Amino acid sequence: MLPDWPCVFRTSLSYNGAAGSALKGMRSVGTRSRDEALRNESNEPAIGFVNKVLSQSFVDGPGNRAVVFLQGCNFNCLYCHNPYMINLCNHCSQCVSHCPEGALIFKDGLVAWNPEACIECDACIQACPHNSSPQVRRTNPHDLWLEIEPFAPFLSGVTVSGGEAMQQAQFVRDFFTEVKAQSNLNTLIQTNGDVPREDLEELLPVTDWFMVDLKAFDPAAHRELTGSENERVMDTIRFLARHKKLFQVRQVVVPGFNDSEAEAKQTAGFLMTIDPAIDLLFLRFRSHGTRGIAEAWETPGNEVMASMVAAAEEAGLDQVHRSI
Amino acid sequence: MDKHDSTIYSKFNPYEDLQQGLTSEKLDVYRKSVLDTLKSPGMILRQKRDTLALGAMCALPYPQVSDRARRLIEDEVICLISEGAAPYHPRYVAPDYQKLLSLGSEFLELAPATDLYEATAHLLTAYYYLPSEPVFLGRIDHLLEPFIDTVDEDTAAHVLRSFWLMADRLNPSAFSHANIGPQETKVGRLLLTIDRKLKTLTNLTLRYHPDITSDSFALQAVANTLEVTKPYFLNHQAMTEAWGDNYVTASCYNTMRLGGGIYTLVRYNFKEALAQSDGTISDYVDRVIPETVERLVEVVNSRIRYLVEETGWFETNFWVQEGFLVRDRFTAYAGVYGLAEAVNGLMANAGRPDARYGSDPVANELAERIVVRFGEELAKHPGAYCEGKNGQITYHAQVGISSDIDVTPGTRIPTGEEPDLYAHLATEALLHRAIDGGISTILEFDQTAKENPEAVLDIIRAAHEMGIRTLSIGSANSEFIRVSGWLIRRSDLDRAKDEKALRHSSSYLAAGFFDTKPIHLHRIERKV
Ligand code: SF4
Ligand code: SF4
Repeated sequence: MLPDWPCVFRTSLSYNGAAGSALKGMRSVGTRSRDEALRNESNEPAIGFVNKVLSQSFVDGPGNRAVVFLQGCNFNCLYCHNPYMINLCNHCSQCVSHCPEGALIFKDGLVAWNPEACIECDACIQACPHNSSPQVRRTNPHDLWLEIEPFAPFLSGVTVSGGEAMQQAQFVRDFFTEVKAQSNLNTLIQTNGDVPREDLEELLPVTDWFMVDLKAFDPAAHRELTGSENERVMDTIRFLARHKKLFQVRQVVVPGFNDSEAEAKQTAGFLMTIDPAIDLLFLRFRSHGTRGIAEAWETPGNEVMASMVAAAEEAGLDQVHRSI
Repeated sequence: MDKHDSTIYSKFNPYEDLQQGLTSEKLDVYRKSVLDTLKSPGMILRQKRDTLALGAMCALPYPQVSDRARRLIEDEVICLISEGAAPYHPRYVAPDYQKLLSLGSEFLELAPATDLYEATAHLLTAYYYLPSEPVFLGRIDHLLEPFIDTVDEDTAAHVLRSFWLMADRLNPSAFSHANIGPQETKVGRLLLTIDRKLKTLTNLTLRYHPDITSDSFALQAVANTLEVTKPYFLNHQAMTEAWGDNYVTASCYNTMRLGGGIYTLVRYNFKEALAQSDGTISDYVDRVIPETVERLVEVVNSRIRYLVEETGWFETNFWVQEGFLVRDRFTAYAGVYGLAEAVNGLMANAGRPDARYGSDPVANELAERIVVRFGEELAKHPGAYCEGKNGQITYHAQVGISSDIDVTPGTRIPTGEEPDLYAHLATEALLHRAIDGGISTILEFDQTAKENPEAVLDIIRAAHEMGIRTLSIGSANSEFIRVSGWLIRRSDLDRAKDEKALRHSSSYLAAGFFDTKPIHLHRIERKV
């Protein structure tokens, strides 16, 4: 018998029962057919895999924002800040014994997480060999809105991040539809840009802006940093700029990969061919949250950051910033 | 020793006596105290003179009050906050400087001001002759905007800068307070620019109204407060509802009518009132508060009467004679503090020591109940000569004085026990609604706020909408800040703390992302 845990737990248990087996053994949601688990052909709202909801953020778009972190990503960046969000859980159960609080239960081949018992020590995340987390909830757009509604008066808008938000495009669309129906909040998607065009098209009507991470302009550096090509990322930037939905292009400046003035010039030059008014933000790499080799990387200093900005401005861009 | 022997009562000078004033037995102690002041190496002449004057006044007996009231003073439930025995001037005044600028002053032999030079010189002169501590410097933008175009732009900036610097240096005190807003003005803009550079102690409040104050002006103010912890953001709409248009903010964050002021401030200590009860919530709320508030009103009124009826202050000075101050715009303060300790004590008595004000809903409800009840009781008793607030003594959340130990200012949630931002604001907003004579909540944001002042404005607007009256906002110097797209987890924080311990470095977490007492706050705490 399972203890009488709160319904959040039961929901997550039922998610594991329904979708878990379909996803078992997958490297990431990005590798499976999109129709398989997330896209649903009926009129039922899509179901999302939510890692966390932040009620307050000053760094994920204009004004104060709620941020929804969705589980699952199609990239595998060396410096990923949330590596435990890359993959959906495959229920291998290796983390269960590491939980000091008995907040994880393995039953009928599935791992269930009890948020009430969890003390957020993250021992499970450390133990997971698959860049995943058992602390993921399955929720529908309306319930997710109900989580955000109480603090909506404090917000300018809602940002969906991840993971890669566009991996759950259908869910994001339904969620934003709900946000728009219930409030005046604006909506923003943070994406790595490696996204099918038709997904972007579907999101346009309910999304005010997109922020696209261009990890590197140089194809080799992009490949090395992310494990993927950047052609489609550039296409996405073009597409969104054309539809006036591009809030910002961001680039995390990583020493040795994309911290040269030449890289900044090229990135800026590419954006210039689209629109000189595109907002470009250089973010300092910081090792907080990273794993593996990136943990030892240096944070670029003020001089590097300033030279990147100067180079991009020289290339003609009007709006170039850098983070603190 | 008997606490009721006022000779050993520590909050008064050793020679003071509530009933008799200075007696012959205490002459030696008195002389010593005077001598100590004369010889004090740390005081400048003005401070010595002020202290000597206070000492002279305290040789008199205090205005007569009942035995019960006196015992409450001795038990520290009612606190006279070193105002001294014989109030011979109001505690705070908020003169109508505009009148002085447009009509001049016979007493000061000043003609009406005709340009920016004269207007600022008139104001500085006026401050020098203020009939109480200089806690209110005026609604600077209202006062100076009519003169701003009498000189060219550069000169205007220069004159204003000198004025602002001198106003501060003449009264280097965080109790001096100027107001701007709600409209955006040239003077308001300039003053923000200047204040950010000069980093003076002088306090500044922006009367903010989302429909009147332009966003760009408000955002400039946000940028300022993240650098220099001012201006404060005052809920103009809520304040006009309670006071009408002609209110001002003076001293820490004290509300009063323009052209009026506050006769006296008597403090009420919620924490010490607990000792007057049998320890139960019902006795505290339903018996102790009503009984002690009545005595508090008695003490306040005894001081007002003394000032108005005995000292002749309102008959004899030019501020009143020339109409810059008007007696019927005055009121007095009942200033409460120590709410957190009272609530936590009562919850502990009720067998819930874990239920703390700030985090526990039942404790929060009790806090609101206490605050509301106090206000209801205060409203039942007329304040003498308090026409400035419809005949009532004004309810104020008192910020505390340096001798307060183990007692939380006003009705605040103790530093370090604040719940998350929204819950913090929601909890304190209920109390802000009940207290209309000055109350503030302190917020602090990390460095990312500087990059996104709109976000801070979002929070200010929502806080005001909930009923928060004054917000004091600063920023913590933390390097441990969220990066876009990165979800900080609790384990990240713990790890950062461990690393900090390992490296013995104070710069890594700096003041700490979630650490409770950023150094920065000491500055705020001291002055708000
Ligand atoms: S974080 Fe993971 S390991 Fe830690 S208590 Fe929660 S479920 Fe268990
Ligand atoms: S979170 Fe990781 S370790 Fe735990 S069951 Fe899922 S895949 Fe296995």
